[in-house]
Amino acid sequence: MAFRDEIQALSGQNVNLCFQCSKCSSGCPLADKMDLKPAQVMHSIRLGRADSVLNSQAIWLCVDCETCTSRCPQDVEPAAAMAAVRVLALQKGIKPSVKVIDIYYRGFVDNMRLNGKIHDASVAGITQLLTGQLIPDLPLAMKLLVRGRVKPPPLPLGGGRFRKIYRNALAKEKESRA
Amino acid sequence: MKLGYYPGCSLEGISAEYDESIRALFAHLEITMEDLPDWICCGTLAAPSLSRLLGLATPLWNVAQAEKAGYDKLIAPCSACLYHFKHATQTVTENPSLRADVEAVLELPLDSPPPTIHPLELLSDNSFEMRIRASVKRDLSDLKAVCYYGCHISRPAKLMQFDDPENPQSMDRLLNWIGIQTLDWPRKVDCCGAHFSMIKPDIVVDMCQRLFESALEAGAEAIIVGCPMCHANLDTRQNAIAAKLGHALNMPVLYFSQVLGYAFGLPGEKLGFKRHIVDPLPLLKCLKLEVTSD
Repeated sequence: MAFRDEIQALSGQNVNLCFQCSKCSSGCPLADKMDLKPAQVMHSIRLGRADSVLNSQAIWLCVDCETCTSRCPQDVEPAAAMAAVRVLALQKGIKPSVKVIDIYYRGFVDNMRLNGKIHDASVAGITQLLTGQLIPDLPLAMKLLVRGRVKPPPLPLGGGRFRKIYRNALAKEKESRA
Repeated sequence: MKLGYYPGCSLEGISAEYDESIRALFAHLEITMEDLPDWICCGTLAAPSLSRLLGLATPLWNVAQAEKAGYDKLIAPCSACLYHFKHATQTVTENPSLRADVEAVLELPLDSPPPTIHPLELLSDNSFEMRIRASVKRDLSDLKAVCYYGCHISRPAKLMQFDDPENPQSMDRLLNWIGIQTLDWPRKVDCCGAHFSMIKPDIVVDMCQRLFESALEAGAEAIIVGCPMCHANLDTRQNAIAAKLGHALNMPVLYFSQVLGYAFGLPGEKLGFKRHIVDPLPLLKCLKLEVTSD
């Protein structure tokens, strides 16, 4: 399947409708940090430049604010296309080019497997520890602790429900790809 | 109308004061809602990044519980949870084969999932106007504040089906009812950077700096919000932003539920004011705050 068809199958987005007005890039609050701007991501998908899109930082820097989707005059949803590229990149075994975000997303799902719910303080702490950013935020963490905004982890750990969903979803997806 | 309540993970942690103030406010207005049983995290962007099916099944587990409990509506005060519930529900409604996959994963039916709404959607409805106006006990009309909606309360419009995606008014309207003339400003729907606070704090500091600059320019002394991530970022990152601005910031960031509750005469302890990094009480105490006696 061509790259743009894979994106369409995953996201329902027909990138051929994009006429490069660049409203998505103009409104994107993270465009100045991105290697490929949202309109360039859309165009690259059209051109089949899979490598450059799958390895871009842009897809991982997208914070899913949906400004692009909201403003597209062609009713295309660039945020949905970005999400599809992230899924496809991981399916193809491509390491996310923004490593800290990969660490965060994986740690987040691991925390869900333990608790079902997220224990926000441990997700933040573990992520910051693994990405070497713990020290600068320690004073803030102490202030939040004093104010009762850092809670103990939920007990008893209720991750069973989510672990079952996790197992079933991954098995089903594997089965349908095979 | 039977209402379910999905607090979401942030409200059990860093945003405890949002949960406290929502519960206190709803109890005061005699709106009954029931905690959703057996809820799990909505999965945010993490679950859908690992697998599309997981990213749909995780929020829909909660929606399926809401359907099972027979709620007419499910209230989600976190706009990210709200977005993921609505997005997943719409995706499987439009795609029967995906719905069958999700039902198989969850081992639960999704026949007629109830809609998820933000508490602002419930309270800003005109049917509440008289009740809200009549409940005011503290005069907050001197408060100079901007309403900050962030991303998902009304965006993307086709999905959220609530308020205006570029210039929302629901929170402003609600605060007007209690006498606050909210200020107009151009950044009410700009993004705060959300969870990047934990991984790319510099980016969040940049994004929130723009918000504070714009709020200050409008003459605001406080920012009023309706999302736990907006609140966390604006309340906790002010030191770094002040250092970049070259002057102190100290701008209280309040949830609309805290402001309404305070106007209705509820005590600050019930509304979680003591949990803020930037203490809002000095500002609130500057206003004429005598509780009107009944």
